[in-house]
Amino acid sequence: MVLIAILTVITAGLGLPGPLIVAHLIDSLFKHHSINLFLVFLALVGIAAGTGLVGYALTFAVTYLGQQFKMEMRRRLYSHMQTLSLGYFEKNQIGKMMSNITNDVATLDQLISGSFVRLMQDSATLIGVLVIVFIKDWKLALVALSVSPFYVANYLLHIGHIKKAADDVREERDVMLGDLQEKLAGAMVVKSYAKERTEVRQFVGQTRNLLDLNVDLSMLGTRLWTIAEFIGSGCGVALIIWYGGREEMMNRLSPGNLVAFISFITGYMYGPILRLIQLNDQFARTNAALNRIFGTLDTEPNIQNKPEAKVMPDIKGHVEYKHVWFEYEPGQPVLKDINLDIKPGMMVAFVGQSGSGKTTMINLLSRHYDVTDGAILVDGYDLRDVTIDSLRKQVGVVIQETILFNTSIRENIRYGKLDATNEEVEEAARAANIAHVIEALPKGYDTLIGESGIKLSGGEKQRIAIARAILSDPRILVLDEATSSLDSETESLIQEALDHLMKGRTSFVVAHRLSTIVASDLIVVMEKGVIREAGSHIELLQQGGIYASLYNQQFKVALESREAEGVKL
Amino acid sequence: MSNFRRLLGYLRPYRYRVFLAVFLMFMVTLTALPLPRIIQFVIDRVLPHHMWHTLNWIFWIIIGIYLFRGIVSFSLNYLIGWLGQRVVFDLRFHSYRHLNRLSLSYYDQRQTGKIMARAVDDINVIQYMITGGFVTLITDMLTLVLVIPVIFLMNVKLALIAMAVVPIYVFNYKLFLKKIRPLSVEIRKSWDALIGTLQEKISGITVVKAFVRENFETEQFIKTIRLNYDLQMTQATLNRILAATATIIRAVGTGLVYWIGAKLVGVHTLKVGELVAFTGYIGYLYDPALRLVDFNVQAQWAGASMDRVFEVLDTRPEITDAPNAKSMSNLKGSVTFRHVSFGYSRDNQALIDINLDVQPGEVIAIVGPSGAGKTTLVNLIARFYDATEGAILIDGVDIRQIRLESVRRQIGYVSQESLLFSVSLAENIRYGRNDATREQIIQAAKNADLHDFIMTLPDGYDTKIGEEGIKLSVGQKQRMAIARATLTNPRILILDDATSALDSKTEANVQAALEKLMKGRTNFVIAHRLATIMNADRIVVMDKGRIVDIGTHAELVAREGVYQNLYNEQFKSAQDEALAELLG
Repeated sequence: MVLIAILTVITAGLGLPGPLIVAHLIDSLFKHHSINLFLVFLALVGIAAGTGLVGYALTFAVTYLGQQFKMEMRRRLYSHMQTLSLGYFEKNQIGKMMSNITNDVATLDQLISGSFVRLMQDSATLIGVLVIVFIKDWKLALVALSVSPFYVANYLLHIGHIKKAADDVREERDVMLGDLQEKLAGAMVVKSYAKERTEVRQFVGQTRNLLDLNVDLSMLGTRLWTIAEFIGSGCGVALIIWYGGREEMMNRLSPGNLVAFISFITGYMYGPILRLIQLNDQFARTNAALNRIFGTLDTEPNIQNKPEAKVMPDIKGHVEYKHVWFEYEPGQPVLKDINLDIKPGMMVAFVGQSGSGKTTMINLLSRHYDVTDGAILVDGYDLRDVTIDSLRKQVGVVIQETILFNTSIRENIRYGKLDATNEEVEEAARAANIAHVIEALPKGYDTLIGESGIKLSGGEKQRIAIARAILSDPRILVLDEATSSLDSETESLIQEALDHLMKGRTSFVVAHRLSTIVASDLIVVMEKGVIREAGSHIELLQQGGIYASLYNQQFKVALESREAEGVKL
Repeated sequence: MSNFRRLLGYLRPYRYRVFLAVFLMFMVTLTALPLPRIIQFVIDRVLPHHMWHTLNWIFWIIIGIYLFRGIVSFSLNYLIGWLGQRVVFDLRFHSYRHLNRLSLSYYDQRQTGKIMARAVDDINVIQYMITGGFVTLITDMLTLVLVIPVIFLMNVKLALIAMAVVPIYVFNYKLFLKKIRPLSVEIRKSWDALIGTLQEKISGITVVKAFVRENFETEQFIKTIRLNYDLQMTQATLNRILAATATIIRAVGTGLVYWIGAKLVGVHTLKVGELVAFTGYIGYLYDPALRLVDFNVQAQWAGASMDRVFEVLDTRPEITDAPNAKSMSNLKGSVTFRHVSFGYSRDNQALIDINLDVQPGEVIAIVGPSGAGKTTLVNLIARFYDATEGAILIDGVDIRQIRLESVRRQIGYVSQESLLFSVSLAENIRYGRNDATREQIIQAAKNADLHDFIMTLPDGYDTKIGEEGIKLSVGQKQRMAIARATLTNPRILILDDATSALDSKTEANVQAALEKLMKGRTNFVIAHRLATIMNADRIVVMDKGRIVDIGTHAELVAREGVYQNLYNEQFKSAQDEALAELLG
């Protein structure tokens, strides 16, 4: 920073002698004094070389600073976002989060590498020029300065409108961006409803507004600058030539100094004055970006490690829900007084209507949210007393919506365990019954998925996700509708693999297909956030409650059809 | 360069304004010329001869010139601002319209973030170049054209000296250009990668968190920004060296003019005022040259951006209306597959020789292991892709001969992934049919077993979803998608695993409503649960891209084959239990 300040002042200072040397030269010419022309030449070139070198160093230093700053800021924002809880990501549009990291940071950088340097350079130049012109001829200096109030007034008159117009533009642009992102990501829906033309029309409406606002903004800016040029270059120069001319004729000013004055005033005074006032506006603009950046950085993750949080040792997998209450929105409990005791190695299945709280039960276990009341204990540790990492590393989750990344199949599976060998990856793929599909591809495990890669079916994606979870070898396994998009045949193949995998691990399964869950040690039937029934398949059927009726409903049709076919019962 | 020419094509509709702008630029440039001459006149004539009166006149002349200049340059800038914004508008509009025309396969292969970057960032860069770079370039060229004759008229010797450094400058510039150009492309690419990573990892945050990969992802991200940083630094350095050299070359030129000029003044072949005016003019000569550096950076950026924008515009949509395509407004709904084969890529056949004849009003269930081609089959009906071989006929007409819009409007498609938009529930349901009444929306929600849930929300149907709104479970989203599809009253209804995330009870409710809705339409249902499938008129069994069997449930279950296996698999374990139960 100090280096930059020094370099800036030097650059500003190097601009000043030029007109003075020229003034000296002109005066000597007028008075027919001899002057070492070669020296003048050397001085001019020398100054330029100096300016070039220092300018080079300065730009380098500033760019370095700005880029470093950008990188650091982006890193901080991104790593902070990573620590934020899932709730944050559900609440914010992806486009806006991205713009926070990309555009807002870029705006800040403009202030730092652009405006700060200009601020220093302009202040230095302005002070230097004022000192010189007042020493040379204070009256002429006052004349030159006399137009500056108009100059400033013009700026102040415009700036309010400009700021407002700029805000409008930004707002409209945000709306457009949000919509664009959503509609591009949802291309499938737009197309199935043949709504392309409506979408285009709506987009045109938005861009048309943006066009109008932008034109307004640019007109305001143009008016400001045109008037500024007229006042500064036009009136200022006219005044100096007129007044300075009179002074010269009265022999109170040398012609060389008159020329120097003109170049000082036009080149070095009005520009800096205006830019200095303009900084104000820059700050305002940057302020909005800063607010957003700090808004993100100040968002406290809902889920945090306690300062004294311990690393959870290798667990056995004993999970207890003790009087657990939970609400996403205050006053709307999603789970009400849940009590469950799950012994290590047990397989628990959650059954219930959508919205009954099954997925929430699981989300609490990986501590994506904290319980509102009560506690969840794993091997006797309250989840809130251990570090999040050490917990989640031992909990493997396969969720409903399969998310794979744009890289090779191998890398996708390896995401479960970064240091896994190729053999381990392939073994996991075999266990998830996806190996034969992958091996049939020309590039096998190195086949890219997604962009510029191949398209996988829903079932294939899900099996890759299962392979990824298998590889991570968790102590507690959570399958949230993991097999819903698999056909029965594939599902039964996977079920086999999962049965293997679940042995010796505590596992939580959310599934709607009862065939998946009949083998569970414990079936938990949930309704509106309450556990209504819990027990083994046989026990629950004997109870003749909700589960029994669900079961009968699902199998009634099948049994009837069997009867119709004459299959003997 | 061809890209620049193409960009100019976007200015063609506004060519008269462009001509006007160029004329105004000419005027603005012209108004800059008198000042050095006036100063010369003042120094050489007015001052030595004490012409007080003339000095007063000069004051008003300067004011007049600048007033004129102000008016002209205001009009010019306004015009340029308008043109720039207008071209951006046109480009955005064309890109977006084109993106909407592109087939799904385009989206399958690209990250949304990257597509966005083209529609937004790249076009902005182009705008900066039009309003900034182009205008400066043209003004500068005009200035050069005007100034060069002026200085030669003033003094040939000095003019030659001033011009002497120009070749050095051009040479220097060309040297750097070679290095800067590939760098800009690299920077753009690294920025793309950065955006792509961000988009993907932020939308995939659940996976990142589930595997505790936050630190790993941060490290990956740093690698991407690091690369971008390094490239930017290299570019900044190169540009700055170029600028520094340019400053020095310029100073040499100016210094030489003063040196020789002063000598000429000494021998009285040149007046002092002339020298001052001359140095004023060579500023006009060198400044444009210096600015070329800036323009160059801008042009490089814009060039890279143009490549990308035009690449989007040049991507031919795979699915387009045939020139003579007809609009079919009231489909009966018969669908015929004739020897249809299809592959997403050449060596990967997803469908092989499919033949199927579906009568209006039929319910067709499609079953088979994952990867069998079920989704592909229904995608072809909605014409998201075109068959590689063979043809699909609706009401006896090849769908490639029917206007795309008229087909899709009559197809209700519920896909595996339920995508909803960040608007209210009512607006989401209404998406397929803007003129739907409140009653119709509520009926659609009731059919999807959603109404009761929606009524428990404080804002009911006006509840927003997504950002600043509520979060729906996967099952709820799926039911929203069903409500949306049924509201359009389609002739052909396609349900691709549309009820997979529903619990049995909800599914049974939705199923009952769907059965009513299916009446009088042609229906294609992909499902895994046999309970859903058994009521179909016909069941199509697929395996490895082929139809291996067709028939009713009773027929198929009696035959040995894939269906029987599927059936047995699903019911074996459960039925054993059930039997055990029933037998006590």
